[in-house]
Amino acid sequence: MKLLLLPVLLPVVFALAALVTPAAWRRAREALSILAVAINLACAIALFKADAVFQMPWLGFGMEFKLRIYQFSGFILLAAAFFAACVCVYSLSFMREKPAHKQFYSYLLITLGLTSGAVLADNLILMLFFWEGLLLTLFGMIAIGNKSAFKTATKAFIIVGISDLCLMAGIGLTGYLAGTLNISQISLPITKLGGIAFILLMIGAIAKAGAMPFHSWIPDAANDAPLPFMAFLPASLEKLLGIYFLARISLDMFKLNPASSLSMLLMVIGCVTILLAVMMALIQKDYKRLLSYHAISQVGYMILGIGTCVPAGIIGGLFHMINHALYKSCLFLTGGSVEKQAGTTNLEKLGGLGLKMPVTFICFIIAAASISGVPPFNGFFSKELVYDGALERGVIFYLAALVGSFLTAASFLKLGHAAFLGKISSENNNVKESSWPMLAPMVTIAGVCVLFGLYNRLPLETLIQPVLGAEKLGGHVFYGMPSNVMLIVMTIVVLIAALINHVIGVKIGGSGLKAVDHIHYSPVLIGVYDRAEKRMFDPYDIGLKLAVAGSQALWRVDRAIDWVYDGLIVKVAHFSSLRLRQFQSGYYAVYVFWAILASVAAVIFLLKQ
Amino acid sequence: MLSLFVSIPFLSLIVFNIPGKHSTRLALFWSAFLFIAQSALALLFSTGIINPVARQLSRIFIFKLSLDPLSLLLLLSIGVAAFAALLAGNNLFREKSQKSNFINLLMVAVIGMNATVLAADLFSVYIFMEIVAVSSFVLISIQKDRLALEGAFKYMVMSSIATCLMLVSIALIILVCGDTDFGVVASGLCAQSGNPIVKLAIGLFLCGLFIKSGLVPFHGWLPDAYSAAPSAVSVLLAGIITKVTGVYVLMRLVISVFGINPAIQNLLMLAGAVSIAFGALAALTQHDFKRMLAYSSISQVGYIILGLGCATPLAIAGAAFHFFNHTIFKTLLFINAAAVEKQAGSIHMDNLGGLSEKMPVTGATSVIALLSTAGIPPLAGFWSKLIIIMALWSAGNFAYAYIAVIFSVVTLAYFLSMQRRVFFGKLALSLESVKEAGAGITIPAALLAGITVAAGVGFFWVLDKLILPIQEILR
Amino acid sequence: MAMEILLLLGLLAAALWTVMTTRLLRSVVGLALTSAVLSIIIFRLNSPVAAVFELSVCAGLIPVIFITTISFTQRIAKSQIQERRRERFIRFFLLPVIVVVAGLALLRWLKIPALMLPAAAGETDVRLLLWNVRHLDLLGQIVILLAGAFAVVILFKEPRK
Repeated sequence: MKLLLLPVLLPVVFALAALVTPAAWRRAREALSILAVAINLACAIALFKADAVFQMPWLGFGMEFKLRIYQFSGFILLAAAFFAACVCVYSLSFMREKPAHKQFYSYLLITLGLTSGAVLADNLILMLFFWEGLLLTLFGMIAIGNKSAFKTATKAFIIVGISDLCLMAGIGLTGYLAGTLNISQISLPITKLGGIAFILLMIGAIAKAGAMPFHSWIPDAANDAPLPFMAFLPASLEKLLGIYFLARISLDMFKLNPASSLSMLLMVIGCVTILLAVMMALIQKDYKRLLSYHAISQVGYMILGIGTCVPAGIIGGLFHMINHALYKSCLFLTGGSVEKQAGTTNLEKLGGLGLKMPVTFICFIIAAASISGVPPFNGFFSKELVYDGALERGVIFYLAALVGSFLTAASFLKLGHAAFLGKISSENNNVKESSWPMLAPMVTIAGVCVLFGLYNRLPLETLIQPVLGAEKLGGHVFYGMPSNVMLIVMTIVVLIAALINHVIGVKIGGSGLKAVDHIHYSPVLIGVYDRAEKRMFDPYDIGLKLAVAGSQALWRVDRAIDWVYDGLIVKVAHFSSLRLRQFQSGYYAVYVFWAILASVAAVIFLLKQ
Repeated sequence: MLSLFVSIPFLSLIVFNIPGKHSTRLALFWSAFLFIAQSALALLFSTGIINPVARQLSRIFIFKLSLDPLSLLLLLSIGVAAFAALLAGNNLFREKSQKSNFINLLMVAVIGMNATVLAADLFSVYIFMEIVAVSSFVLISIQKDRLALEGAFKYMVMSSIATCLMLVSIALIILVCGDTDFGVVASGLCAQSGNPIVKLAIGLFLCGLFIKSGLVPFHGWLPDAYSAAPSAVSVLLAGIITKVTGVYVLMRLVISVFGINPAIQNLLMLAGAVSIAFGALAALTQHDFKRMLAYSSISQVGYIILGLGCATPLAIAGAAFHFFNHTIFKTLLFINAAAVEKQAGSIHMDNLGGLSEKMPVTGATSVIALLSTAGIPPLAGFWSKLIIIMALWSAGNFAYAYIAVIFSVVTLAYFLSMQRRVFFGKLALSLESVKEAGAGITIPAALLAGITVAAGVGFFWVLDKLILPIQEILR
Repeated sequence: MAMEILLLLGLLAAALWTVMTTRLLRSVVGLALTSAVLSIIIFRLNSPVAAVFELSVCAGLIPVIFITTISFTQRIAKSQIQERRRERFIRFFLLPVIVVVAGLALLRWLKIPALMLPAAAGETDVRLLLWNVRHLDLLGQIVILLAGAFAVVILFKEPRK
C-alpha cells in the first residue's frame, strides 16, 4: 500500500520546497505549508480505518523498510496531522513578522513527516532513523528562537541525545534477544536481560515524552523557542510519540504484568514526575514557563496510567495522552495569543486581559478546566480512569495523583487570575483580541476538549479501547460517567479545596497589599509569607509553607540534575582532553618511543595468542 | 584496462615535464579530466556497465593487477579527493611554479595510490606506498616554511620506521612462503598459522600500517603534519593519502592476505577503540582548526579499524562505507579550513567567529560535513556508523559498540563548538571585510557536500552497488 | 656462525657511531662503513648482485652526495656542541638500549616461543626477476626516482631574485 509513504514523504518534500523559496516569499511559503498539512490531514483521515503494510527492500540484515498502519498507529497519525494543521494555521499570524520564518515552516513540516514515519515504522531500526531525525529538527526549532536559544537547543540536544543512546542500545539488545527487528513480530518475556532492554527502551520513550529526569530542557525552551514550537512538540507531538512508543513496548513487545517490578518502577516515575513538576509549576512567574512545567507534570499521569498494567489505568493513560495534547496545545496557543497582543508573558506585567481578549480567555478557561480535571471536560474523565487504575494498585499512588491534581488546579487558578482577571495595567489598555488565524485553532481545539468530555464515548470507543483489544478489556466499557462514585466525590472535594485555597490566598494577600498587581501574580506565595509573620502555627500555613519549601528544595534538585548535564559531563571531558594533549609534546623522539613501545606490545600480544 | 589507471597518469607526468615551454593551465585541465574520468570509470564498473569489456582488456595488458569491489570504491574515492585537492591547490598556491610542482607531485601520489589499490603483490604494495610517502613528504614542505619542514621531518622519521617494520616483515614472509603474491602468501600463511615467525611477520606489518594510518599510540606525526602542511596539501593528506597507504592496505591485507583470527581481531578493535576515544577527547580542546580536524581524523579512522576488527561481513561493509564517507567529509572539512585560512588569514578558532554570513557556502558545507562526521541522519556518515555499531552489537562486542556510540556524541560536541567558534556567533571586528573564497574552493566544497547528502539520502543505492559487493572478498 | 656474529656486531658498532658522533663528516664515514660491512654480510649470504648494489650505491654514491652537501654547512658554537651531545646520547643511545633491554626482559618474562627459520626458497636470477616478473615494481622505482628529483628541485632550488 503505497499511500502509506505519503504522510512521511509529502511533508518532507514540501519542507524542502519551502526551504528553497527566497526569504521574502513569506506568503508562498505559508501557502505551501498549509497545503502540505491539509493534504496530510486528509491522507490521515483516509488512512484512519486502514490496516495495511508497506514494505520495500532496505539495508538487509533484518533491517527492512516496513511501514504498518493499524488501529493504534492510525489514531496517532491522525492526531499528529490534526495538531500540525492547527499549529500551522496558528503560525500564519504568529510567525508572520518573526525572523527565521523559512526555517520554522520547513522544520515544522519535516518534524511532521518524521513523526508520521516513526509512528508508522514497523521496524525498530527504521523507527530509530525517524526518531533520531526528530532530534535534529528539535535542535533547529529551538535554535531559531531568541538569543540564548542556541544554548537551550544544545542542552535539549544533549539530554534527548543521551536518552536516544539508551534507546539505541535497547533496540540492539531487543533485536539480539528477539532475533528480529520487526516490531509486530517481537514478543519477549521480561527476564533479566529482557528487563534491561525494556528499561533502555522505556528511557527513550519517556524522555521523548518529557518525564523526569529528562525534562529540564522544556522550561528553558519555553523561554527561548518560538511559541508554536511549544504547542507543537513538547505539548502534543512528543507526548503522542513517546506515550505511543511506551504503550507499544509495554503492551505488544514486552508482556508487562502488574506483578512485575518494572510496573512499579513506571508508577513511581509517574508519581514523582507528577508531584515534582507541579510543585515547580506553582512558583513560576511566567505564563509559558508555568505551562511547560505542567507539560512535564501531566506526563506523569500517562506513565502512571500505563504503568498500572490494569485496563482502566492503561485506557486512562492513553486517553490522558490525547486529552493532554489537546488542552496543553490549546493553553500554549492562548499563551502565544497573549504574547503576541500584550508583548510579554511575564505574569507581573499582565492582568485583566479577559475582557480585552474574550475568545482567548474562554479557550483558556475550557483548557484550564480540562487540565485541572473539572467535570465534564475531557481531562476529568481520563484522570478518573487513571485514579481508578492507581487505586487498584495502591492507595499511595492514588493519593500522589490526587495531590498533583490539587496543585494543578491551584496553579491554574493563579495563572488565570493573574493573566486574565484583576486590574489591567496601563500598558495593556490598548490590547485587542488576536486575529482569526490564531483564534481558529484555539477554538477548534477547545471545542474538541468539550466534545471529548461531554461525549467521551466517541474517543474511547473509536480510538482508545481498540488499542487494548476486546480480550484484555474483558467486556468492560470505560465511557460514560465513572462507575466509582467515591472517586468523583474526592475529585470534586479537591477542586473545591483548591478554589477555597485560592480565594483565601487572594484575600489574605490582598490585605497585605503593597501594589495592586502584586497580589495577582502569586496570591498563594504572598499568603504564605504574610501568614508566617502573624500566625506561625496555623497547620494550613505550615502545609503550604512545606509545599513551597519543598518546591524550592526540588528546584535545587532540578538544578542539580541540570548541572550534571550542563556542567559535570562537559568538565570531565574537558579535563581528560587537556591531559591527553600533554602527550603531544612535539618531540619526534617521544613519538618514536611510543610507537616502538606499542609495536613491541602488539607483537608480543600476537605471539602469545 | 586496469593498467590504464597507472600508466596514463604516468605518461601524463612525463609529458608535463618535457623540457621546454609548457602551460600549467593545460596540465591542470588534463589532470582534472583524468581524476573525473577515474571516478566515473570506477562508478561505471560498479554498476556493471562495462565489466565484460574490462575483463577482456585486462587479459591483454601485462601488469599483474587485480580489481575487486573494494579497489573500485578506493579508485572512486581517490578520483574525487584528488579532483577536489587539485582545484583547491590551483586556487591556494599563488606562484606558477608552485602550481605546476603541486600538480606534478599530485600526479605522482595518484599513480602511487592507484597502483597500491590495484596491486596484488605484497612487495609492489610496499613500493607504491613508498612513492606516495615520498611525494607527501615533499608536498608538505613544498613552501619551505619552518613548521612545515618540521612536520614533514616527523612524518618521514615515523614513516621510515614503518617502512623498516614492513620490509622486515616482507623478508620473513618471503622466507616462509617463497613469494609475495597475495594468493600465494595467503595460502602459505594459512598453512603455517601456528608458526611464531608468521605471527611475528604479521605483527610487524600491522604495526607498520598502524603508524601509516596514524592510530593511537602510533599517531604522533599526524597532527603536526596535517596542521603544518599547506592547506591544499592537508586536504590531500587527510582526505586520501594516509587513508590509502594506511587504512586501505590494512583492510586489504587483513582480509585477503593475513586472514582473520581472534588475535588480530582483538588487536584491531583495541587499537580502533583507543583511537576513537583519544582522537575525540583530544579534539575537544584544540584551538587550531586544522589540528582539531587532524585529531578528528584519528578518531574517525578508529571507527573504520573497529569495523574491520569486528570482521563480520556487515562490519567490513560498514568499515568500507565509512572509509568512503570519511574521505568525502574530511576532504570537505579541510577544504573549508583552507577557505577560512585563505580568506580570514587565521585558523586559530579563538580569533574567528561569525564567518557564516560572510562565507555562506563554506559555512553551510561545513555544517553538512560535521553532521555527517558525527553521524546524524540522514547524512551518509550516519549510515556507515550505524552499520558498524549494528555489526558490533550482533557480533556481541557490546563494550566496543558503546564506545562507538558515546564518542559519536563527543564528536558532535567538538564539531558544534568548532562551528560556533568559527562560523556562527558574533562576527569579529577584524573580519568585517572577509569575502567568500573563489570558485576553486567553493566548487569542490559544494560537490563534496552534494555527495555526502546524496550518498545519505540514496544510501540504499550506494550500499547496494558499491558497498555490499565488498563482502565477496571475504570469500 | 661466529663470523656472522662478529660481522653483525661490527655493523651495530658502525651504525651506533654514525648516529652518536657530533661531526657530520665522521657520521658519513660511519654510514659508508656500515654499508660496507652490510655488503660483506650480503656477499656471505650468496647474493652477489645485491652486495654489489649495496656497496656501490650506499657506500659509494650516497656519501659523495652527503659530503658535497656538508661542504656548504657551517660550524656551530662550542657551547651548543656540549648540549647537543647530551641530547644525542639520550635519544640515540639510551633510548634504543632501554627499548632493547626492555624487549629482551619481556621476551624472557613472557616466555615467547623461539623463532624457527624455515629453509630458504630457491634462487632466481635477479635480472629475470626484475624484467619478467616485477615490471610493475620497476615502474614504481622509476616513479620514486622522479619523485626524488622533484624533491631536490623543489626543496633546494633557490628562487631567482
